[in-house]
Amino acid sequence: MAEQNEIKVEVKNLNFYYGNYHLLKNINLYFKRNSVCTLLGPSGCGKSTFLRTLNRMNDYTEGAKLTGEVLIDGKNIYDKSVDVVELRRNIGMVFQSPNPFPKSIFDNIAFGLKIHGIKNREFIVERVEKCLKYAGLYDEVKDKLHKSAFSLSGGQQQRLCIARAIATNPSILLMDEPTAYLDPASASIILDLITTFKKYYTIIIVSHNIQQAGRISDYSGFFLDGELIEFDEAGNFFTRPKDKRTENFITSRY
Amino acid sequence: MAELANIKKDDDSMPIFPINRGYIKRKKFYNGIAVFFAVMAFIIGAFPVFHIIYKAVALGHKYLNWRFISTLPTGFPIGAQGGILNAIIGDVYLIVIASIFAIPLGIGSGLYLSLFGKKRTNTFLRLLNELMIGIPSVVWGIVGFYVFSTNAGLGFHFGFSALAGGLTLGFIMTPIIALLTEQAVNQIPAGYIEGALAMGATKWQATKSVIMKAALGGIFTGILLGIMNIIGQTAPLLFTNYYNTGLPTGITGPGGAVGDLAMLIFIYIHEPSRILHIKAEAASVVLLFFIFAVDLGLRLINYLTRKFL
Repeated sequence: MAEQNEIKVEVKNLNFYYGNYHLLKNINLYFKRNSVCTLLGPSGCGKSTFLRTLNRMNDYTEGAKLTGEVLIDGKNIYDKSVDVVELRRNIGMVFQSPNPFPKSIFDNIAFGLKIHGIKNREFIVERVEKCLKYAGLYDEVKDKLHKSAFSLSGGQQQRLCIARAIATNPSILLMDEPTAYLDPASASIILDLITTFKKYYTIIIVSHNIQQAGRISDYSGFFLDGELIEFDEAGNFFTRPKDKRTENFITSRY
Repeated sequence: MAELANIKKDDDSMPIFPINRGYIKRKKFYNGIAVFFAVMAFIIGAFPVFHIIYKAVALGHKYLNWRFISTLPTGFPIGAQGGILNAIIGDVYLIVIASIFAIPLGIGSGLYLSLFGKKRTNTFLRLLNELMIGIPSVVWGIVGFYVFSTNAGLGFHFGFSALAGGLTLGFIMTPIIALLTEQAVNQIPAGYIEGALAMGATKWQATKSVIMKAALGGIFTGILLGIMNIIGQTAPLLFTNYYNTGLPTGITGPGGAVGDLAMLIFIYIHEPSRILHIKAEAASVVLLFFIFAVDLGLRLINYLTRKFL
């Protein structure tokens, strides 16, 4: 067990049910501050569902039930006193397919500030610029900030979504297969981004792609049928997996 | 068949299947039949429309002039001289009142059904909404009569007036807008909504600035269908507004009733007067153009809001 103040997110005895399905079975793990952690597993193993329990995106799913605890900075986010809006401000999320809003590039990022009550135009302009620079997109879009976000390529759209996700000043970034629909060049740009973002954020990524995961992770976990089979430092995970099933997966036998 | 002979039994290669020339001929024939029926269906459906327009223009053409739509009816029986301005102004009154009532209510209900409600109650509410669309307009007329026109209902007693008539027409418009709004919102990619929620937006913030904008086209179609539907209604107005040969002095109580094109046609056709019959035909052409103008106007607003919002 790592030292207490190094732990950003801790998951204790997490169970998730959807109707009669027991989707996540007794998950226990922790994520260290300013680290990149990838969660691997075949389709339908529950890794996306798990990611969504971390910012309570499953709240609106009817028939869903959850037991156990998710502690962020030592506080259970499923506690009644927790404000979901504030929680999600603190946790940026990037989805599998780029999902910019049908708005201009500028407004896509400004939206995150406006919904949290920021009206100062100068601050917003400065912030939008900064987020785009962080996401490595500024030089490509600085002349067309007020054009529709759909005018960008898929890879640029995904970086816009990343810029959007960091606009609200989060400390955690959740990414659900952020490179799944991108070409290798665009994917590579995003992987580089993730590595540099480690300084600022705790990053948790769901991935199919073992090679990409190996390139960026500090920690890795392997999910199978709703169970966390193995969770370890990336070095051990990819070279000396303890479990036979993990080994089968990372050598692509699933 | 000759081609079959090429297939070797213990060969690993993908077997070639024989080409059935008879089947190709048949499928082309069926395709031709399908196209024929589609074209026929269109002609049969469109014929009455063109026939009505032709008949109405042929009979009423001598009244199709500016004077007819810009003067009030006069003479004896009333309408024998003058035009139909009362009905055109009245229709504007009714549409505006019905829209003010029905557009927010319809959009709100649609958003509730698609975003806010629980699954099980929604199934029931959706059924109710579809039922409301199916209720005959004459029944809405009676409902409007009790609720808005008489003293018996909720205490509105607006009398036979534009307000009572417009609100009753609003009843007819609301479920149509609700249905189209719901469908429009359901077609929005889930990523828009999730993306907004994941940033810490409340459901209302997500609705206001992301969902509404993406669903605008569908919502406009709903408003358009709703207005198209009420322009031609007479039955609800029989009990709530009836008809005014002049211009209204208010929107409730005595003097609050307005003229209406559909009512005008209905009333003129019932009069034993050849002139009024011809004027009714001319008025129906005007009504068609009126619907066409409203359609074009709303489409233009839709186009402009999409482009500049």
